[in-house]
Amino acid sequence: MRKTFAFTYILLVIAQMILSNYFHFTPLVMLTILPVMILCIPTKVNTFWAMVIAFATGLAVDWLAEGTLGINAMSLVPVAFVRKTLIGMIFGIEPFEQKENLTIKKYGFARMSFAILILTALFLVIYILADCAGTRPLWFIGAKTGLSLVASYIVSILVVNLLSYDDRR
Amino acid sequence: MPKEKPVVSKIFYAVVFILLEIAAISMLSHNNELQRLWLTRISHGFMAKTWGTTQAVGNYFSLRKQNDELSLENERLRGIVRGYRQAAIESDPAFRPELKEDGFNYIPATIIKSGTNSQHNYLILDKGSEDGVVENSGIISSKGVIGIVDAVSKHYSFAISFLNKELNISARLDTTGAVGPLAWDGLKTNGAVLKEIPLQFKYNPGDTVYTSGYSAIFPPDIPLGIAGEAKVINGATNEISVRLFQDHSALKYVTIIENTRIKEIEEIENREEEEGSKK
Repeated sequence: MRKTFAFTYILLVIAQMILSNYFHFTPLVMLTILPVMILCIPTKVNTFWAMVIAFATGLAVDWLAEGTLGINAMSLVPVAFVRKTLIGMIFGIEPFEQKENLTIKKYGFARMSFAILILTALFLVIYILADCAGTRPLWFIGAKTGLSLVASYIVSILVVNLLSYDDRR
Repeated sequence: MPKEKPVVSKIFYAVVFILLEIAAISMLSHNNELQRLWLTRISHGFMAKTWGTTQAVGNYFSLRKQNDELSLENERLRGIVRGYRQAAIESDPAFRPELKEDGFNYIPATIIKSGTNSQHNYLILDKGSEDGVVENSGIISSKGVIGIVDAVSKHYSFAISFLNKELNISARLDTTGAVGPLAWDGLKTNGAVLKEIPLQFKYNPGDTVYTSGYSAIFPPDIPLGIAGEAKVINGATNEISVRLFQDHSALKYVTIIENTRIKEIEEIENREEEEGSKK
C-alpha cells in the first residue's frame, strides 16, 4: 500500500509540473493540487516528515516547472505544518487512532471539501503574495486567490480519490 | 486531535518549520530579483516599525524630563523676545514685531535609531517624503547641528550624523568672523575641530562657534559650541578644538530644515559656472 501511495504521489507531482507549465489560460487563475497531496499523506506520518516531504515536493516543482525557485516550497511547508491540527479539528481523533487515511467515502464530501478548501486557500495566499511581490493591486491578488481557489478545488476533488486509500479493503 | 503532541515535539516541529521556511525564503530571494526587493522592503518596514515602537515606549517614560526641558527653553526664549520687544518699543513706539520669512522650512522629527559607536554614524528619523522632507535637508536641535538627510522614504528619513568623519559644515568664529569647515573629532560625542583658520585671525579660547550660513543647507548663526585649544597645521592654519553644545549621545527630538530657495541658489551657481566656462 505504501509503495502504491508513493508511486501515485510521484505521478501527481509530475501532473502538477504539467499543470504549472501548460495550463496558463489567464493570469488570474493558477491550478494547484499540491495542498490536497499534503492533506492525503497517511496520518501515521508525523508533522516533521510531512514538512520535509512538502519542502522536497515544492522544490521539485519549483526546479522543474515554475522557474521561481523556493516559492512552492515556501507556500507548501505551512500547509504541512498545520495539516495534523486541521485534520484533528475537522475529522476528530479517529483518523489518528485507527491510522486510517482520509477518504471521501469514510469522512464525507463536505468535510473533505472543507479541509481541501482551507489548505488550498492557505497555500494560494502565500504563493500569490510572494509571486506578485508587491507589484499588483489588492483587487488583483484577491481576484486571483478567489478564482484559483475555485479552480484548484475542482481539480483537487477529482484527484483526491487517487490518493485516498482505504486500508481495510 | 493526535495523541503524540507533548510540548517538546510541538517546539521541535515549530523549529523545523521555521528552518524550512528560512531555507525557502533564502532561495527565493537569492534567485529572483523582484522577490528579493519585496522581501527587503518588508524587512526594512518591519525594522522601522519595531524601532519606532521601541522608541515610542522610551519616549513615553521620558516625557516629564522632555517637558521640563521644553518649558525651560520656552521661558528662556520668551525672555529674549520680551527683551527685544522692549528695546524696539523704547527706540520706536510705533514698532510692531513681525515674523520674517527666512527661506527655510522647519519640520519637527524624532530620532528612532541612531549610532555613535562607529566612524560613520547615521540616524533614522520618523518623518519622510509625505511630511515634506527632501534629500540634503539639514537637521538641527536647540543646541546645534545634528546631520544632513541623505535618503527619504515615504515615512522615514535616513541621515548622515554629524558624528561621521565624512561630514563637514561651514562654521564661523564669533569674535573674528573667520570661517572654516567644522568636523567631528572622531573621539567624543560632543567634540569637534574647526579647521583651516588662517593664522592672522586671532581668537580666544571660550569664543562661541556658529554656523556661517555659507552653505545652502544650514541657516547662519546657529550656535554650535565653544572654541578650545588650537594647534598650528603645516605652519599655515590653525586647527581649533570645539566642545559642542549638543552631546550626540543624548538626542531624541530634532528639527529638519529645508532651504526653500536652494533651487534658486543652484540655478545662479550653474549660470555662473556656464558663463565662466564660456570665457
